[in-house]
Amino acid sequence: MMSEVGVEMVKRGRVAGRVRAGARGVVTIARRELAGLFYSPIAYVVLALFALGSTLFFVNEFTVGMQATLRTVYWWVVWLLMFLVPAISMRLVSEEFRGGTIEPLMTAPVSDAQVIVGKWLGAMGFVLVLLSPLLLHAAVLEMTASPDRGPILTGLIGLALVGGLYLAIGIFASATTQNQIIAFLLTVFAISLLTFGMYFLPRAAFVGPGLRQAMYYLNVNGQFEDFNKGLIDTSNFVYFVTGIGLFLFLAVKVLESRRWR
Amino acid sequence: MIEANALTKWYGPVRGIEGLSFRVEPGQVVGFLGPNGAGKSTTLRILTGYMPPTSGSARIAGHDVLTASVAARSNIGYLPESTPLYLEMRVEEYLHYRGRLMGMARRRRRERIDAVCDRCGLAPVRQRTIGRLSRGNRQRVGIAQALLHEPRVLILDEPTAGLDPNQIQEVRKLIGELRGRHTIMLSTHILPEIERLADRLIVIAGGRIVAQGSPEALRRSVRRSGRVVVEVHGLAEQVAETLTVVAGVAGVETESDNGWCRALVTPREANDVREAVGRALLARGLAVREMRHETASLEAFFMQITAEQEVGVAG
Repeated sequence: MMSEVGVEMVKRGRVAGRVRAGARGVVTIARRELAGLFYSPIAYVVLALFALGSTLFFVNEFTVGMQATLRTVYWWVVWLLMFLVPAISMRLVSEEFRGGTIEPLMTAPVSDAQVIVGKWLGAMGFVLVLLSPLLLHAAVLEMTASPDRGPILTGLIGLALVGGLYLAIGIFASATTQNQIIAFLLTVFAISLLTFGMYFLPRAAFVGPGLRQAMYYLNVNGQFEDFNKGLIDTSNFVYFVTGIGLFLFLAVKVLESRRWR
Repeated sequence: MIEANALTKWYGPVRGIEGLSFRVEPGQVVGFLGPNGAGKSTTLRILTGYMPPTSGSARIAGHDVLTASVAARSNIGYLPESTPLYLEMRVEEYLHYRGRLMGMARRRRRERIDAVCDRCGLAPVRQRTIGRLSRGNRQRVGIAQALLHEPRVLILDEPTAGLDPNQIQEVRKLIGELRGRHTIMLSTHILPEIERLADRLIVIAGGRIVAQGSPEALRRSVRRSGRVVVEVHGLAEQVAETLTVVAGVAGVETESDNGWCRALVTPREANDVREAVGRALLARGLAVREMRHETASLEAFFMQITAEQEVGVAG
């Protein structure tokens, strides 16, 4: 007979095994997704556009007598991500539907949640590669001046979170359609609601003060500015983490619902 | 090994399949036969857990495909219709990816990839990009992928579609070799392809099972229920008069042709009336030059079913 502790350990072992198996599925899908992204020409166009755009912002700020910060550069970079991240995310699920490869994927012993999280994680790897030119800018600034490192670091973290949120929205949009262009436009539209929408709407006369507060909170740029200033607290993280979680959850639900059709 | 219970699938108002029930015993090779649009892929997609049925249930190796989907799926090797693959990946890379998805450890993956590449004749193209492979080789990748984790159940949706006659022969041979290692269910709309291969045939049309059994039993039942054609030297009226009174005959149609009479004899239920018909004609001194079943082959039977389905759809 097994002792209670023994039973508990076996149970825990089983749970751990399940978690490990779950993680393995996610990592497998993430790896393929990341490799797959580099096979598509869009990826290189996006990388080039981002490197070019962000460097132009940097060069524009990088003059004698300017403050040694990257705040303005990062502020612009957020706008760049609004178009470039959807170009990456648009194919993530829709292409599987169009090419029929969704069928072997969804009949493999992996859950829909593993598929979505794996894809998000793989694309997130790409977003980190995408942001890498910013490290170069920071290095140049570091060599030529003595910038305050804190805000640069938190700014980079903030940009990664913005990228992650946009990706999650993008995967959700991509799961709803076989058409990549529609997925792209839906994503850009949803992001504009969180940026332009949450900038202009709270300033409208008919919006009450409570709603106005909520809308300010939902504004991506507002949330990012806290990171950019180096003034972050838990609420900023909560915003991004719940946003990412919400859209990934919705994406899983959309994928599940597509089985029923 | 495979159990389907009253599977029904509606696509909105359109019926995919209705009330499909069957069992496949371990080690059996079952041919799933039906014209295009009969519901073959729908059924296989339900069995593989890709889509849930509107009602009914199915079990794979004892696991319910709805409530224990992941367990059921890990016992299946599946080749979907038209073999969707990631075209940008290399063959070996793709097989490694599939192996990882199946939860196979690296060492076992390597061994199995070697084994399935040998078996499916993929050795020369292992490092090639899938998008550059011929149709036949892509099909091989699809089959290799299905065999990779040594599943107990193999489900192949039209494994020979789009292949040339030689390749069809190869696939047939391969499936023959897999007999005994896996329980196999394969669909096709071409009967001769699996007539000799399958232990059992399940024929569906218009979303329902219209016949099932061993090819031999089906052939027998087709013969039994079919009409008998007799060609007799004599007048039509005389022949009709003789044959209508034969025991087991439900009806006779005749037509004259140059002194010969062709009679179509419809038997009552499942009687083999050939002997009685022959005796009756001989007794009247009528010379018989031919007597045969109208639908002698499964193929003809199958064509008939197909035609009926089309009429049904058109009506």
